[in-house]
Amino acid sequence: MAACLLPFIVPAVITGFIWSLPGDPASLICPPNICGGTAALAERWNLDGGPMQFFLGWMADATTLEFGNSWRLHQGLPVLELLKEAIPTTVSLISVATLVIMAGAVMATRGWLPRRLDPVLRFVGLVPALVLALAGAAAIELTFGFGSFSESGKLARLLIGAAVLGVADGAFTGAALGTRTTFETENQSRYVGIAVLRGEQPLANTWPNVAPSVIGQMRARIIHLLSGAVVVEVVLRIDGLGDLLWGGTLRQDFGVVLAAATLFASVSAVLLVIQAVLETLVALHVRKAPSGVRVSG
Amino acid sequence: MSFKHAIRAMTGLAMAVVGTGATLAYFEESIPMSLNPLFAKTMADHRAQELVFDRLWFNDAITNELRSRVVQKYQIAEAGRAVEVTLKTGVRWHNGQALTSKDLCFTVKAMLDEGTPSPVADHYREFIVGCDTRGPQTAMIRFNRVLPKPRERLGFPILPASEFTSTAISPDLQFSARPIGTGAFNGKRGLRMVTFDAFANTHHTPQIVQMQLQEGGDPLVQTKTLINNNVQGIVVVPPPQRPDLSASDDVSMKSYDLRSWWYVSVNSNRGALKDNRVRQALNMVLNRNELRQYSIGVKPNDKNSPCEFISGPFIPASPYYNVEVPVLPTANLAKADSLLKQAGLEKLGGRWHSGGQPITLRVGMLASLDHEAPDLLSQVANQLGAAGFDRLTSKISADEWDNTVMAGGSDFDLVIGKWSFGLVEEVNELFHSKGRQNMFRFANAEVDQILQEYEDAVTDTEQRDAYHKLHTVLNRELPYLFLWKLDTKSAWRTEVRGNIVAPYYYFTEIDSWSVEG
Repeated sequence: MAACLLPFIVPAVITGFIWSLPGDPASLICPPNICGGTAALAERWNLDGGPMQFFLGWMADATTLEFGNSWRLHQGLPVLELLKEAIPTTVSLISVATLVIMAGAVMATRGWLPRRLDPVLRFVGLVPALVLALAGAAAIELTFGFGSFSESGKLARLLIGAAVLGVADGAFTGAALGTRTTFETENQSRYVGIAVLRGEQPLANTWPNVAPSVIGQMRARIIHLLSGAVVVEVVLRIDGLGDLLWGGTLRQDFGVVLAAATLFASVSAVLLVIQAVLETLVALHVRKAPSGVRVSG
Repeated sequence: MSFKHAIRAMTGLAMAVVGTGATLAYFEESIPMSLNPLFAKTMADHRAQELVFDRLWFNDAITNELRSRVVQKYQIAEAGRAVEVTLKTGVRWHNGQALTSKDLCFTVKAMLDEGTPSPVADHYREFIVGCDTRGPQTAMIRFNRVLPKPRERLGFPILPASEFTSTAISPDLQFSARPIGTGAFNGKRGLRMVTFDAFANTHHTPQIVQMQLQEGGDPLVQTKTLINNNVQGIVVVPPPQRPDLSASDDVSMKSYDLRSWWYVSVNSNRGALKDNRVRQALNMVLNRNELRQYSIGVKPNDKNSPCEFISGPFIPASPYYNVEVPVLPTANLAKADSLLKQAGLEKLGGRWHSGGQPITLRVGMLASLDHEAPDLLSQVANQLGAAGFDRLTSKISADEWDNTVMAGGSDFDLVIGKWSFGLVEEVNELFHSKGRQNMFRFANAEVDQILQEYEDAVTDTEQRDAYHKLHTVLNRELPYLFLWKLDTKSAWRTEVRGNIVAPYYYFTEIDSWSVEG
């Protein structure tokens, strides 16, 4: 229920927030004291009837994927076109970063990540995304120069961005050490010891029990990556949703901000739904697994 | 019909591509916000639009004569209250259609339409009242009064009527990102780059196939990129980077006549600053020699300095600059103290007080100027502090500058900025009590009267005399503390040939540009 409401609540809250900022986009483009036509522009952009009228108008258009053109950030470019370019970029960024943290989780769980590396991982995890992103941005500018927005330059930005997201702010460290701790704690359980005595693999026994926890952790980590993506995209100048959201907010480009924020909220909602579905499936599996077993006494 | 236009458009592009040209990549100060000339705000906007559109009349970059690439002939009509313009035949838009008088009158009507929220158009609304077509190539543009030199005032770019459904033009139309013009290049704005593809026409024969514009970012990175031949030019090179680039054999520095002068605007409607003596004192507190040395790196005795002090709102080379008004290169703190005491201020514990309260000056500076004059804001604040004023400093973003400072809504006491002009250095809007760019609403009857004299002047001499008087009065009233003019320099690889840089609009003579090798 909460997941379904997110895409509606977030743009409503953002409309209220950006409405409360000083100035309005029509006056920014055409300050009333130096230019006629401000009122006409406000009317064209549906800014003349208050935040509720604007929000409802925007939602009605958004249902038909009619987002209009950017007012100020990329003036004249259709917002839908901007989204079409930004969505795959952000999805790629988050996906690669997710792979990084999942690799950390798997490696730690399987014991492929030596414990002696733990202090190093903990230290690396302390570095903020901003610092790593700035270093990455400098490296790209110096390496690619004018070509830093060529296809190869963009790919480099994306990969460095994903690496920064996957490593900074304890993302990799948290995933690796957190998942390992979860499994190790579960492995102390009696039923796992009995399973091992029966010659079974511990993972096959622990997985159904730790799965909800791991799924929840992963959802939280992906949400964390989404938040971090805004910083990484802005600093590394990656044309994703986070960059649109940031630039649109700075320039009071309502259409861009609302569209980008709604998408962010939708992704979060989808992740919540996926988590709920997965947890339900695991619960069903756990209930179903001991069929035929009778409790005696 | 549209198929025919498409064929023509493709032919224009193909002819340009088949030429001997190459690609030219360059760094700009920023990505243009809009490629629609009605919504030009920054210098980057003006320069980019110059590649895409033809202005009705423009000044030749070398001879300074008024020229037009699209006007066949013209004649003054209705005793000076109108001008009849006949456009050349054969000029095509980037969509293949022919340029006609309908387009010219559409442009005028779009500017006059109150539904067009354009500060650029607002300027033309002051004297243009209409336009009628008199045939396929002839149009009559009417004025609300007799204009002595109408062609000088008609420097607007022409827009294609076929691309709009109404004369009320909005900035968010796709035209702002993918415009159609008659200029040498067809521009397309991307997220991080603007590309300009050559379009051969009867009046344009570009020798470069494609131009690519990117925002420059860090000046040091720009410099290294240019020296390493990863880019061919930088439009604006900050003074600290000039020695490195000048020392390179592969780069040539080009003067860009932007007629820029720097100032500290004073809020003469606020607190103690209402008193002219306080403004005079602040003018004497500033040690311009030190400001220039510590922020731009020019020492007092440097030869060929790119930075010359000014005492009024014009560059020293301008005919409007009154050389009889002296500049103040150094501070005179004793005289400043005396003036402040005369104004009723008290110095208690080393700080100036007014009405028993310490004076705290809010000082701001347009953030983007920090590239050209690093730390200028801190240096000015330090000098004010040393003279006994408390101060609060902040850098002003471009949006805040447009939205608050220029709209007259800021609560700053002092604002550091820069004005840039083309060949016509009109400053009426800056100092008239109802001027659109009068940021602190400075009002002075004598100044208004002089500006009216300038407006009414028929000859160049009368205009010059009016502005000389203005210079004198402004130096006395001090709505601005005038700092200096700072040369603007570009840097281009030596492979770029024929690169004549036009004043203000920069790319006016782009047809002569080529890239060797």
